Amino acid sequence: MEENKEAYWQENLRLIFICLAIWFVVSFGLGLLLVEPLNEFRLGGYKLGFWFAQQGSIYSFLGLIFWYGTKMNKLDKKYHAES
Amino acid sequence: MNKHTKMAFVVAPFLAIFGFIGADLYEENKADDNKIVQLVPEGHCDITNKSCVLLSGEFKINVSDEAGVTEVNSTFPLDSATLFLVDKSDKMTPYPLGMKKSPYYWRSNTPLGGLLANQVDSYKLRLIIKIKGGQYIGEFYTQTVQ
Repeated sequence: MEENKEAYWQENLRLIFICLAIWFVVSFGLGLLLVEPLNEFRLGGYKLGFWFAQQGSIYSFLGLIFWYGTKMNKLDKKYHAES
Repeated sequence: MNKHTKMAFVVAPFLAIFGFIGADLYEENKADDNKIVQLVPEGHCDITNKSCVLLSGEFKINVSDEAGVTEVNSTFPLDSATLFLVDKSDKMTPYPLGMKKSPYYWRSNTPLGGLLANQVDSYKLRLIIKIKGGQYIGEFYTQTVQ
């Protein structure tokens, strides 16, 4: 039982770190650090770096929320932790 | 919507706020670095006829002269602006411009009106502008065409 809890928590932490890494790459990496090279390309009439800073990062955050929810749901079922 | 999705929705705004603060600090730090950017005239420059625009990306500076007062109008607020009149022997005379009502408008009395009174009169000018530690420098000729 204790081992199950530990494994559940470790997998949860893994998901959280993946989410935080994507959050950092999308917001800071694509929206700030790589903004100049990305601005060479265009998406929907906007410079790509600008688009990531303004809209792309928000879309990614929303996607992350639902991805995390789905993955955690599966994790709950796997470890019978619905309650 | 399961409890994890709800929790993620609660946490997400805090991450967005941290991201905003981090981005703001990063940009402020970057802006503090001393950098020198060149201003380039957009076409022919004639300050007595209010037709002189200097460019650097989205940053635009309009230089004009009327009744002995030379005025600089910019698209972004400036920290300071100095105009240099450069004579034929390359001797510079500085004219620090004073703010007029807002940091978008700067002016100073200069003898440019007299120096450019006749058609085809031209004069070499240098403009140094400071914004948040960065410097914009432009060297250009103004020539009266009318």
